[in-house]
Amino acid sequence: MSNRNFSTREMNWVALYASLWLLIGCSEQKESESTAGTVNNIESDNYLVEILPSYQNELLPEGLRWETNESDPVFSSNEAKKGGKFNSWILSFPLTLRTVGPDSNGSFSTYTRANNLGLVGVHPNTLDYYPVLATHWAFDDDDRTVYYRLNKNATWSDGEPVTADDFMFAVDFMRSEHIVAPWYNNHYTNVIVNISKYDDYTISIEGATAKPPEEMLNEYGLSPIPRHFYRLDENWVQEYNWRLAPTTGAYRISIVEKGQYVEFQRNGNWWGDSNLYLRNRYNVDIIRFTVIRDMNVAWEYFLRGELDSFPLVMPSFWHEKANGEDFDNGYIQKIKFYTDRPRPSYGMWMNMDDPILGNLNVRLGIAHATNVEKMLSTLLRGDYERLKMQFEGYGDYSNPSIQPREFDLLQADNYFVAAGFKNRGPDGIRANEDGQRLAFRVVYGSQEHTPRLVLLREEAKKAGIELNLQLLDSSAQFKQILEKKHQIAWMGWSTGLVPRFWQYYHSDNAHIPQTNNITNTDDPELDSLIMRYRKSKEKDERVRLAHLLQRMTHDAGAYVPTYKVPYTREAYWRWLKMPKHFGTRTTDTIFNPLGEALFWFDENLKLETMAAKQEGISYPVVNITDTTWRVD
Amino acid sequence: MNSQTVQQWKRFKSIKRGYYSLIAMLVFLALSIFAELLINNRAILVKYDGNYYFPTYAGFIAGTHFGLDYAYETNYRDLKKHFSGQNENWVLLPPIPYSPFETNFLENSFPPYPPSISDQHYLGTDIAGRDIFSRLAYGFRLAITFSMILLACNYLIGIAIGCAMGFWGGAFDLLFQRLIEIWSNVPFLYVIMIVASVIIPSFWTLVFIMVIFGWMGMTWYMRTATYKEKAREYVEAAKALGASNVRMIFRHILPNTVSIIVTFIPFSIATGITALTALDYLGFGLPPPTPSWGELLSQGTSNLQAPWIVTSVVVAMTIVLLMVTYIGEAVREAFDPKRFTFYE
Repeated sequence: MSNRNFSTREMNWVALYASLWLLIGCSEQKESESTAGTVNNIESDNYLVEILPSYQNELLPEGLRWETNESDPVFSSNEAKKGGKFNSWILSFPLTLRTVGPDSNGSFSTYTRANNLGLVGVHPNTLDYYPVLATHWAFDDDDRTVYYRLNKNATWSDGEPVTADDFMFAVDFMRSEHIVAPWYNNHYTNVIVNISKYDDYTISIEGATAKPPEEMLNEYGLSPIPRHFYRLDENWVQEYNWRLAPTTGAYRISIVEKGQYVEFQRNGNWWGDSNLYLRNRYNVDIIRFTVIRDMNVAWEYFLRGELDSFPLVMPSFWHEKANGEDFDNGYIQKIKFYTDRPRPSYGMWMNMDDPILGNLNVRLGIAHATNVEKMLSTLLRGDYERLKMQFEGYGDYSNPSIQPREFDLLQADNYFVAAGFKNRGPDGIRANEDGQRLAFRVVYGSQEHTPRLVLLREEAKKAGIELNLQLLDSSAQFKQILEKKHQIAWMGWSTGLVPRFWQYYHSDNAHIPQTNNITNTDDPELDSLIMRYRKSKEKDERVRLAHLLQRMTHDAGAYVPTYKVPYTREAYWRWLKMPKHFGTRTTDTIFNPLGEALFWFDENLKLETMAAKQEGISYPVVNITDTTWRVD
Repeated sequence: MNSQTVQQWKRFKSIKRGYYSLIAMLVFLALSIFAELLINNRAILVKYDGNYYFPTYAGFIAGTHFGLDYAYETNYRDLKKHFSGQNENWVLLPPIPYSPFETNFLENSFPPYPPSISDQHYLGTDIAGRDIFSRLAYGFRLAITFSMILLACNYLIGIAIGCAMGFWGGAFDLLFQRLIEIWSNVPFLYVIMIVASVIIPSFWTLVFIMVIFGWMGMTWYMRTATYKEKAREYVEAAKALGASNVRMIFRHILPNTVSIIVTFIPFSIATGITALTALDYLGFGLPPPTPSWGELLSQGTSNLQAPWIVTSVVVAMTIVLLMVTYIGEAVREAFDPKRFTFYE
């Protein structure tokens, strides 16, 4: 593979060639490989910058009380060693490496975005803020402006310093229509209304509404955008699809082999290593995410030691697959770690723009015809728990009075009859007087979920509805949902620090593609409450509004919550080492190299283990269960 | 029947494994047409309160109708237990009382369940608790129907175009040859993948796509055969007598190319079955929960800890494909003119 640098224009040709080859079929494999090439060594991929945007200094107000946090306990381990190549996998290749813009919100974005650090971080145990790109912060008396003093040591992965201008540019960037990202456009216009620069290392961010300090740091913060890297124009989306932007985090993408793998490399002399709360984290040198399109195939790779860890949250994996020689000999270890954190909202999301699903009675009927209880107790072996609603695990913000609708054929029948679906056809499926059948398409993105949906489908038949399953590649599924072409989507949203409603339920995001309002909720009363919630400063009022909004969206019935998993379960080769406390209160995945990343990779232990495996030497079995953070 | 056909039939019968395979295949086909009566969760016959019910073909009967406490479709296995001990009410269940869609969970254990005679899961269940025998049987019916429809469409187009190419020759022939060459180079699997990512492929869309890319194979043989027959004296004679093109093609040429067509049929059926299975295996075939061999195969290979899944489907596939191949062999043998021709 050549090491040549591609100019943008050449890159376009490469993309064109690659897609042509895909269409025509690669009869001559070699040629297509050499055409597609390896895109690496991108730091030197600079174009000539004619004019960099520049920003004026303003005068810093007097009397600011600067705060920081260096007193919270450190949650990493000083035993951690650096080094090693961590092999992980992804189900499908990302549609883009941009972190904003069309198709940028796929599952791979959690990895790319993890390298764009914010001004402050949230301590995973105390939930207090700690300094990241900002060393200090101060609040204005207007309760909606935060001042940040930036870390002078912070640099981009290409060596350029991170300065106030990168933050100023970030706001311009996020407001630009060239990035085709309505959510960001709106957020950086209507939530973050202004940003000011006082010197190269002092900025302030002004939010739209007054808020309590702890929420201000969360809401009125942002990640810098490398001013020296981007040229914003109408070609931005295409031009930067596969360009590798400099990062502030521990890693940068170093190799992209389209359709096959993405490799991250740790930044040498990373500035974060001197930060109290970033120190001893992100310990591996190289992370490779290989595309393995089937979870079971990935499992086989894991058993061969070609992947270093494997998530075992799925009951079939935990109970049936994670056994055998390698486990009995202690080469592969297991951990079940309970956590206390907001739960992703897995379930069925109905598109209310659909003529039948627009009917409230139909939606409530579907909720009562969804036998989640049976799915949990049989297929999922009682390992998962019923999720009550979209925003569970948000502490005070979660409305405790909301209970999920239970499988109840009598109620389902009442609702369907009320909606006009009285009679059943010869196949037992209801139809109304116009002959419309109560049949819906459920789109989902993982083969592993087929048995669950098959069970729900069979149970739903009892209530006289037909669920037709559409299994798509996860990227294609996501595209269909964001384009609002689904009827029912089987998916889950990831979580935030506090419940958010605007993106999911505000009418501004309804009926248009590429927004998160996938139910197409469009209710003026809800809109005004959402805006009040967003503007509210008092925590009490916000909590009250959050409860009310959760109640209203629950009553609208466009979402059927299914399950939550109050722990993480993982298998890992014994050369991966963890701190004594394994993880934190809010750990998502222990062995996510771009998450909390407290673990480290012991290369000597890997050699030792592989040799022991050859010679048949065994180690004690390790099967950890940690309930430190269990909530009942 | 003309004497040549009788000869060929005798010859076919004399090849035992082909002949018995044909019989077995026909029996399977016949049974699969009535699969609903043999493998189903709906009872064949229910006698209740002096009335007879035939739920198999009659459709949905709510549980309340038989005095049960639910309004959804009757579970006839439970109904049978419910009626046990009553003389006037009874249920006649099919020998395998499971539908291919029904998820069945046993108490205190989790699917996939191993084969069990007492539970009547003779080949066990898959990972969603569905009876494997039932899914195999319905999957067979689907695959064979698919393959026959595919064959009919492919042959209809292939023979028509191939015959026309051979009969008219010249520019028409040349044009179609080039068209077919280009068309054969379109990668069919990519097209399926693209289609499957946009719409749910249904039975008929799959047939349609496969026909679009599958009709070319037959044209070459038909073209050659037609060229050959057209040059024969009897066609010349017919032409001299003023026979129309239609008459020449349908009365003279086609009947003489029939041996080619017949010889190909069994192999085309095997191809059709394999193609559907492969597509289902890759996840681009019929949408779940359609009973399909490919889907079972993919479940089986990803759940090797439950070997009955993969064993059942592999054995079933091997048997069917072997039988089809045996039939094909015997047909080819029977239609082989060499046996009756002597060259000097």
